Amino acid sequence: MYTIISPRLGTPGDPYIPAEGVNIDALLNGGLISTDSVKKSSKVKSEPKEQ
Amino acid sequence: MAISSTYLSNPTISINAVDLTDQCTSAVINYVAEQLENTTFSNTSRSFTSGLFSNTVTVTLYQSYAAAETEASIYSLVGTTTTLVLKPASGATSATNPEYTLTGAYLSAHTPIAASLGELSTIDLEFSGGVLAKAVE
Repeated sequence: MYTIISPRLGTPGDPYIPAEGVNIDALLNGGLISTDSVKKSSKVKSEPKEQ
Repeated sequence: MAISSTYLSNPTISINAVDLTDQCTSAVINYVAEQLENTTFSNTSRSFTSGLFSNTVTVTLYQSYAAAETEASIYSLVGTTTTLVLKPASGATSATNPEYTLTGAYLSAHTPIAASLGELSTIDLEFSGGVLAKAVE
């Protein structure tokens, strides 16, 4: 999943769905789109059990 | 006899889906089918048939190092293939305003700095190969 940064690609903030033949790496390297960060689950480590 | 000519005032171009119309000053699509000779002893004139298509698009862009401008859009394309879309005018695609898409075009070279004192910097790019399609609707 990608998000538009540059208005040259569409509305900034909208999701970007690449068309066939588009070089995604070049868009990412150029800062024209970004990858949506995957949120980590908020797992809390349980304390080790006392033996 | 009527003569129909085209005056390009507001053509559009996108390179790798990035709209660079407002940085572009020149664009040329060369739609080429290589000619292979198939002349034989039975012919009195040379004869040819179609070989591979060898398309190119050459463009001239103003250089800009600002965020999301020319350099950011082009630099990472060198050595890769991409898609270009060009139209004679910005209106809806139609028979009189066809849209040309070159898919799988290879960019072999780029000149990140090509500047002369006192002049706006421009870059010339040639995208080679790929499949050219023409849409009229």
